[in-house]
Amino acid sequence: MTWVAWRQQRTETLIAVVIVVLIAALLVPTGLEMASTYRDDGLAACVAQTPSPACGGALDSFISRFNGLGDLLAWLTLLPGLIGAMLAAPFVLAFEHGTYRLDWTQSITRRRWITGKLGLAVGAAVVFALIDIAMVTWWRTPLVHLNGRMENSTFDGEGVVAVGYTLFALGLALAIGVVWRRAVPAIVGAFAGYFALRLFVDTWLRQRLTPPATITWHASGRQPAVLNHAWVISMGPGSKPGQLGAAPTALCGPAAKPCTPHLPAFLNAVYEPASRFWSMQFTEFALFAGMAIVLIAFAAWWTSARTS
Amino acid sequence: MMIDAIIRTDALGKRYGATWALRDCTLEVPEGSVTALVGPNGAGKTTLLQLATGLIKPTSGRVEVFGEAPRSSADVLPRVGFVAQDHPLHRGFTVAEMLHFGVRLNPTWDADSAAARIARLDIPLDRKVGKLSGGQQAQVALTLALAKRPELLLLDEPVASLDPLARREFMNTVMEAVTETQMTVVLSSHILADLERVCDHLVILSHARTLLAASIDDALATHRLLTGPRTDPATVARVHDVIHESHTERQSSLLVRANGHVYDAQWEIHEVDLETIVLAYLGYRGVSYAAPPIGEAVAR
Repeated sequence: MTWVAWRQQRTETLIAVVIVVLIAALLVPTGLEMASTYRDDGLAACVAQTPSPACGGALDSFISRFNGLGDLLAWLTLLPGLIGAMLAAPFVLAFEHGTYRLDWTQSITRRRWITGKLGLAVGAAVVFALIDIAMVTWWRTPLVHLNGRMENSTFDGEGVVAVGYTLFALGLALAIGVVWRRAVPAIVGAFAGYFALRLFVDTWLRQRLTPPATITWHASGRQPAVLNHAWVISMGPGSKPGQLGAAPTALCGPAAKPCTPHLPAFLNAVYEPASRFWSMQFTEFALFAGMAIVLIAFAAWWTSARTS
Repeated sequence: MMIDAIIRTDALGKRYGATWALRDCTLEVPEGSVTALVGPNGAGKTTLLQLATGLIKPTSGRVEVFGEAPRSSADVLPRVGFVAQDHPLHRGFTVAEMLHFGVRLNPTWDADSAAARIARLDIPLDRKVGKLSGGQQAQVALTLALAKRPELLLLDEPVASLDPLARREFMNTVMEAVTETQMTVVLSSHILADLERVCDHLVILSHARTLLAASIDDALATHRLLTGPRTDPATVARVHDVIHESHTERQSSLLVRANGHVYDAQWEIHEVDLETIVLAYLGYRGVSYAAPPIGEAVAR
């Protein structure tokens, strides 16, 4: 069954390889350039110690040169959805084309057919996700030294979450595909679902899965170092320690009194510290991988029990 | 007889939503027989064959193949060769890959005979299956089914999509295989003429019902066409099964399945050919007799 499953999945695998190679063709030269600039301008020293005046200029020019490219690569967060959904196609096409009637009337059991095909799709999804993570992580290394890896656009591409994302897209496309029996709607539907869920998790759920910390400091003082590589969800004036206060403008009422600009005494920040990177990665990975398991199990059950 | 049935169904039924695709089907396919499954499109032929392969499961009743339920037993499939309607193949595979597919999925695979058959048919091994002609695709599908060395071969509308020459070649391959191996064969068609040369048993399906399941010899021996002056067929119907009746102003003709002798001076009694029997069951108009009257007819 392994050979058969591989042969039936060959086209999709090759397309995924081509996509990965194209992305690598973009990442490898720019990544090498960025790494050598980072090294040659001595930025590692700047980041590690109190910046010298010369450092400021070097950092600014580095950031203005490469941050745009980094933002562009945030689009790579769609890649797991694309590859995951696409890898579901061979399974769904067996029903769209009716070839399951050929496969299921050979000598192997339906269970073995399902396990072989789904196992290979899951394996390929994991491998492509790991390649994606490795490429992006390698490329971003200098930027991570500067900015950390907690911000949404970076958090998505590093660690292990992309494995969960890819499996989720695969599972969703399989679940839609076995019911609908059409590959293209399954892929499109899964990609749309993937996009919607990712948006929801990035903007709303992630900071609720791991409740953020709050820090307050004197407005006249320096910003706490703990915020440097953290994901700062919000920052603003605080009227008293530990609370986000109302903005100063709110103090200028309609009473036409002279509006005194109140400089806040304190500043508050709500943030996820960089130390939570791996625990948040595993939480989110578990969420997506868990949904993927449910969806893939559903697809297997539907195929085995309901296709008749 | 009970022991020798390769397929046995008992009140077998399959329902999709509110529609019965097959209903109350009880029949036996004897070992070594070649059975033609005849009926119009949508009669339940595909459903019956897919129930026998375990591709679908019964809504009611039972189906046994080699004495086991094909859906739940893993021992049935390796002994069954099946060519589904429109002979689905992996169109992106080359012919050689299609054969390798068979090797990988079947422990009893006969690689030599499969390769020999493909070579004999002049089908290029490196050609993509999707690029073959319809007749060649059907032959590849049949080759896959035969290479399993099946004891039971099930062919669902195998020649429906083929031109007359390809039909003949396909049926020749089937007949060769049958004579070589003595396997049991069930093939379906909405046209009897496709199957008449090869089969010795007949099952007629229409509107999800089994109308007739008999050996062809029995069918020919028991069916008679009665012609005579116009009358109500009720008297005949008391003894025999009237399958089809047609009346003109002065004459009535009845096609009956005789239960014993037909003895009635009022009727001229004719033997009928298989096609006439099938057409009568399927309710076509204009049933005509094939032979001159033979006077007193016999049954069984």
